[in-house]
Amino acid sequence: MTSELEHELKHLIIDTLELEDVTPEDIDPDEPLFVEGLGLDSIDALELGLALQKRYGIKLEADSDETRHYFRNLRTLAALVEERRTA
Amino acid sequence: MTNDAAHGPLLATPWRDRDPARAVAWQTDAYAEAPWHTLATFQADVGAWQAALDAHTESPDYWMLSTHDPYRFVCALIAAWERGDRVILPADTRPATLEALDALGAARLGDIPGGLTPSASPRTPRWGTLEAERIAVSLYTSGSTGEPQRLDKTFAQLDAELGMHAALWPLEARLTLSQVSHQHIYGLLFGILRPLCERSPFASEVCRYPETLHQWLAHWHAQTRREAVLISAPPTLERLPETLDWSAVDGVLARIHSSGAPLPRDAAEHAQRLLGAEVREVYGSSETGGIAWRVQSRDTGWTAFPDVEISADSEHQLWLRTPWLADPATWTLQADRVAVDDTRFQLLGRSDRIAKVGGKRVSLTAFDRALVELPDVRRAHCAPLPRRDGRLGAIVELTPEAVPHDHATRRRLIQTLRAALAPRFENVVLPRYWRFVKAWPRDAQGKLGAACLSRLFADLDDPRAPRWLGETLDGPQSARLTLEVPERLAYVEGHFATQPVVPGVVMVRWALHAARESLGLHGVCRDMTRIKFPLLLLPGERVTLTLDATYDSSHETAHDDTHNNAMTIRLRFTFTSQRGTHGTGTLTLTRPEGACHA
Repeated sequence: MTSELEHELKHLIIDTLELEDVTPEDIDPDEPLFVEGLGLDSIDALELGLALQKRYGIKLEADSDETRHYFRNLRTLAALVEERRTA
Repeated sequence: MTNDAAHGPLLATPWRDRDPARAVAWQTDAYAEAPWHTLATFQADVGAWQAALDAHTESPDYWMLSTHDPYRFVCALIAAWERGDRVILPADTRPATLEALDALGAARLGDIPGGLTPSASPRTPRWGTLEAERIAVSLYTSGSTGEPQRLDKTFAQLDAELGMHAALWPLEARLTLSQVSHQHIYGLLFGILRPLCERSPFASEVCRYPETLHQWLAHWHAQTRREAVLISAPPTLERLPETLDWSAVDGVLARIHSSGAPLPRDAAEHAQRLLGAEVREVYGSSETGGIAWRVQSRDTGWTAFPDVEISADSEHQLWLRTPWLADPATWTLQADRVAVDDTRFQLLGRSDRIAKVGGKRVSLTAFDRALVELPDVRRAHCAPLPRRDGRLGAIVELTPEAVPHDHATRRRLIQTLRAALAPRFENVVLPRYWRFVKAWPRDAQGKLGAACLSRLFADLDDPRAPRWLGETLDGPQSARLTLEVPERLAYVEGHFATQPVVPGVVMVRWALHAARESLGLHGVCRDMTRIKFPLLLLPGERVTLTLDATYDSSHETAHDDTHNNAMTIRLRFTFTSQRGTHGTGTLTLTRPEGACHA
């Protein structure tokens, strides 16, 4: 079952990255976001980092192990927002 | 200055001749009072334009000129030139294009909103001086390989090229019939300035449809027993219908010219067979003017025009030098690759186009080639879009069976294409925006130009717009558009939580918008009848929007002052997909008072 936050994050990803061929239903919360799975790339990672900062006030260091861990899939991303959101 | 030998045919200013009865333009309207605009009427019309320009309060840096008809165009052009003014030709009449030129300090002239028109009464014109090195016109490139570029042409440049054509293929009093826009260099030179400067007549209007061509050729021949020359382009020649009785006008055309894009060989043969004249194709660009010509029924190779020097470097890139380049002494590089044999050459294709995506250099040509090698892909063009990081858009022509019709098949197709490209290209440079078409989108010049590109990707900036994937005009009042419902469409959000759909009112809005863009129908919707939405329209779905407009005389209102200006339009629309009909109905439009008929 997809949580409301996960649904919100799906929209954030699709809108921020202008993914035309992806609907929220296409994003499997357990599937990798980058390279395989959704197929996002390094520029997308930077964009997504900025969007998280803007929407939830979460600051992440680009290219750190921590960031890589949280950006693995939608569930880890939702966990990050749950823990660290300030906005 | 009347010595033709000292300079070319333009600087000889043949429109100033004292030869009042000479035919300048042929009246295509068979019911016109006189069959010709003579030199006497032409000079008076130039005077009338000059009076209008004189009365303009500020003195602008340029005149921005756009007209539907060649005759009106050339009257305004000569009026401005003889005043010592410079003319800028917008490539199209989209509001954004015209506003950008307003910002340069250009005043509007002709058939565009706010355009000056000639004073009502004919006047005696004033003749000025055409200095050879002065800029005569500025035009824009089509933008098929990037942003449209402005190009300034001096009188000397135009004069040199017109002189070469006059010597090579003299018109000798034949009628010039043009099917192309005179807002671009080819139409300007071949459709208008050549006949004007060679003292040969041209048709007063542009010939838009094959039926009109047939009718005009028959009418011209019956009236004068003289020949004609057709100035055309690949999209028009490829679509000549077999159903007209072309044998009735056999021998009227002496030759056909085609330019703007290479004409497929079978289209050249098709046109030659139906129209009974050779197609002399012209290869060139807005930057360079004419470079070479060929007749494909004789040879696929190109022959450089007299005075054009050509050579190829070790990478087969074409270099050239001509008297009608901005700098006639310098060799200029062209974006085409060639195999040169003396003054003749074969075109090998475009040179690599390079773009930067997220700071990484990528060859767009390599992408195009890689895509075309994939199954079901007929043609592909990748272009950097004016979006963050220069992400690429790809336009891909597919075999009809491979065209996706819904979200799931489209998503699968994109995944397949990306997976096929992934081993050869970095992830970040892979195209992000895909447009799948059944027929290659082209403008009237036969190119996938800037206007086409911006229409294909316009939905990215407008979350309420459908994705436009091409259109076919079936005459001036009916059109078929291919559209796709973007998954991110603002209207589908929250309509039903479980099943996002396009609301019916949005389909109506799309039909109205398409009628404006594609058929030029500006009007206010007053009434809707027989509206039905039998089948839900879903995100990702591909639909055909069919529009048919009829002018309804029974609804003519009090503002009607002429017969041609009926104010009530009935617009029938249908949205259909492979699954069936999604929406249909009839809209009644009334044109707002004072609106112009496009």
